[in-house]
Amino acid sequence: MKKSKRIETLDKRPVNMDGYINEWPEMGFVAMASPYDPKPSIKVENGKIIELDGKKREDFDFIDQFIADYAIHTGRAEKSMTVPSLDIARMIVDIHVSRKEILEIVSGITPAKMVEVMNHLNVVELMMGMQKMRARRMPGNQAHITNLKDDPVQIAADAAEGALRGFAEEETTMGVARYAPLSAIALLIGSQVGRPGILTQCSAEEATELELGIRGLTTYAETLSVYGTEKVFIDGDDTPYSKAFLNSAYASRGLKVRFTSGSGSEVLMGNSEKKSMLYLECRCLYATKGAGSQGIQNGSVSCIGVPGAVPGGIREVMSENLVAALLGLECASSNDQSFSNSDMRRTARTMLQFLPGTDFIFSGYAGEPNYDNMFAGSNFDAEDFDDYNVLQRDMQVDGGLRPVTEEEVIHVRQKAGKAVQAVFRQLGLSPISDEQVEAVTYAHGSKDTLPRDVTADLMAAEDVLKRGITGIDVVKALAESGYQDLAEHVLSMLKQRVAGDYMQTAAILDRDFHVLSGVNTPNDYMGPGTGYRVEGERWEEIKKIPHIINPQDI
Amino acid sequence: MQMNEDLIKQITNAVLAEMKQKGKDTGTTAVPSVSAMPSMAGRERIHEEKTSYASWAKAKKGTDPKEVVIGVGAAFQREIQKTICGIPLDDVLENVKAGIEEEGMVPRVVKILDTSDVCFMALEAAKLSGSGIGIGIQSKGTTVIHQKDLYPLSNLELFPQAPLMDLETYRKIGQNAAKYVKGEQVVPIPSTNDPMSRPKYQVKAALMHIAETEQLDPETGIIEWEGR
Repeated sequence: MKKSKRIETLDKRPVNMDGYINEWPEMGFVAMASPYDPKPSIKVENGKIIELDGKKREDFDFIDQFIADYAIHTGRAEKSMTVPSLDIARMIVDIHVSRKEILEIVSGITPAKMVEVMNHLNVVELMMGMQKMRARRMPGNQAHITNLKDDPVQIAADAAEGALRGFAEEETTMGVARYAPLSAIALLIGSQVGRPGILTQCSAEEATELELGIRGLTTYAETLSVYGTEKVFIDGDDTPYSKAFLNSAYASRGLKVRFTSGSGSEVLMGNSEKKSMLYLECRCLYATKGAGSQGIQNGSVSCIGVPGAVPGGIREVMSENLVAALLGLECASSNDQSFSNSDMRRTARTMLQFLPGTDFIFSGYAGEPNYDNMFAGSNFDAEDFDDYNVLQRDMQVDGGLRPVTEEEVIHVRQKAGKAVQAVFRQLGLSPISDEQVEAVTYAHGSKDTLPRDVTADLMAAEDVLKRGITGIDVVKALAESGYQDLAEHVLSMLKQRVAGDYMQTAAILDRDFHVLSGVNTPNDYMGPGTGYRVEGERWEEIKKIPHIINPQDI
Repeated sequence: MQMNEDLIKQITNAVLAEMKQKGKDTGTTAVPSVSAMPSMAGRERIHEEKTSYASWAKAKKGTDPKEVVIGVGAAFQREIQKTICGIPLDDVLENVKAGIEEEGMVPRVVKILDTSDVCFMALEAAKLSGSGIGIGIQSKGTTVIHQKDLYPLSNLELFPQAPLMDLETYRKIGQNAAKYVKGEQVVPIPSTNDPMSRPKYQVKAALMHIAETEQLDPETGIIEWEGR
């Protein structure tokens, strides 16, 4: 066949480097509705659910049982289940029906019914739903702070810059897992340089993550993964009950925590039980609610290549975010994994969460160039900061970020680097040279920084664990090395755990350490003229992008 | 994935032949507008055949303190011959073993049939290993170095991005595993990262993992494996 130049050009477009697959329900490659999905049903006897979505209690697997026992309001269930799914879908987009009323109705419906409701909504309606159902009045954003070298100095500097740019939460992880204690300390300090009140997390193996949290080296946790089929849960050596216990372990020490789930994981693990991705994700979200978690990170997350490959997959991703909000959970709505070779496609995918606003639009946004992102690349990275700021300005939308000046960036990066240098010295950890701090201050990514002595760092990391260094030791080291302000900020973060207010749904802290959550600042959107609006000081801030023409220069 | 690709090719050819036939029937106006990729809907497995290892020798716990056990995936060198980026699994295994030997330690290979999760595979290998150090390798190429007394989802070194692996890295993995046995201060193999491997490879990774998982045989457990 003679080749068409038009087709040849199209074939080379980035979007055609992405992976796609036809629907294949038997293997779980189906977004919102599989022929094998169960039909909604419920039977309650003496306050106990004895039938759930076509399954009798004696046939329940442990996820069904957990959901039946803990995640559905049995007093409401039979009434809610008689409301047609189409009616519930319409209420979700009806500006005259409040968030509270919807939460009440939805508290009594089953996962299969929830799937039905979502199947009535197109993407614009899903966004309208999110605008109303998001827990916190004001949307927020979260960053990933990582680098290829696991360099703690760069973590501190990127954390400071990220905080300055507006992220309310920052999460790190490691290429070499044993670096975790150093990464956590660097992130804790650096974040407070950029803006007091930033929450920080170190994504690590669960027991390590819990230990770092208990010691006060992190201020929230996120990596409590739940799955939609029993087999995948068991493969991870877990059950919904063990996750609930882990959740309680964090709660007992006053730490904010959210669960993680997302469509595609069961497909990737080869155990989807032929169900649609949305149905399995609904089971995860019900399990999360049943375990008493205040929130969830979802929206396929690291498995985005799977829903992204099937028809309607991105609509499904937005549906799962909305289901989280409908269950009253804080939703940190993914956008945190490289998803497409096409700039057009990756931007379009993010608009679904960006335009209505979610509790955390990204979970998170790469606060470094993507080559340094140790979550294997985010959907947006440091090189997209100005694009993102312009999108906020173009559409008068609050995406959680703000434009900054070069002077501010250099100032906070340097201060963060020096503070970590001082704390490492004070605590007798691996040395950080002035040259390293200088390189990191002016760096874009780890290609511009000096090498670390990995062996010395890993010994220091082990030492942190062995010596039982805690957040208070970090406060002391900061105070003793002349960083009184940072010492106070880190101490204020530790105090949050005694007060516990920031464990409420969708909590973040402002720069004065005041909690903004779904409880004290709930979303009150009910159509035009209500809810959170971009105006006043915040709008002025968003307007101030760099590279604006000065008419006097013409 | 050899068999799966063959299968797809077969079906594709059948569909194309049918389309040609139809084209003839309706004269020259017919335009082949349907996508040539057939649907797999209705099929329950990737490979119809399941290999039985029931008669193979069960893997034993080693006693040699110099031993490093390599635990390979259920479909390794059988249903799947190459990693996700096309490196022959024969060469992968050869290089890991060579790396271990170069550091004066002794490799032993087992095939793990009770889990396809690479962390658990590596941990099971470590528990069988006389030294307590083990390596888990999935058929798609994902690899973990583990130690018998660590938490399952912890590890000594993890190489999560199979598309970025090369034979040199596999050799170094063998060397590093051996160095852990010797109790040396080991410098972990530097991390690599390609943020665009997910959009390109994730679906393929899912299919390869399904192909591996459907070969599991928990009752047989773990067997001694010296290649095909």
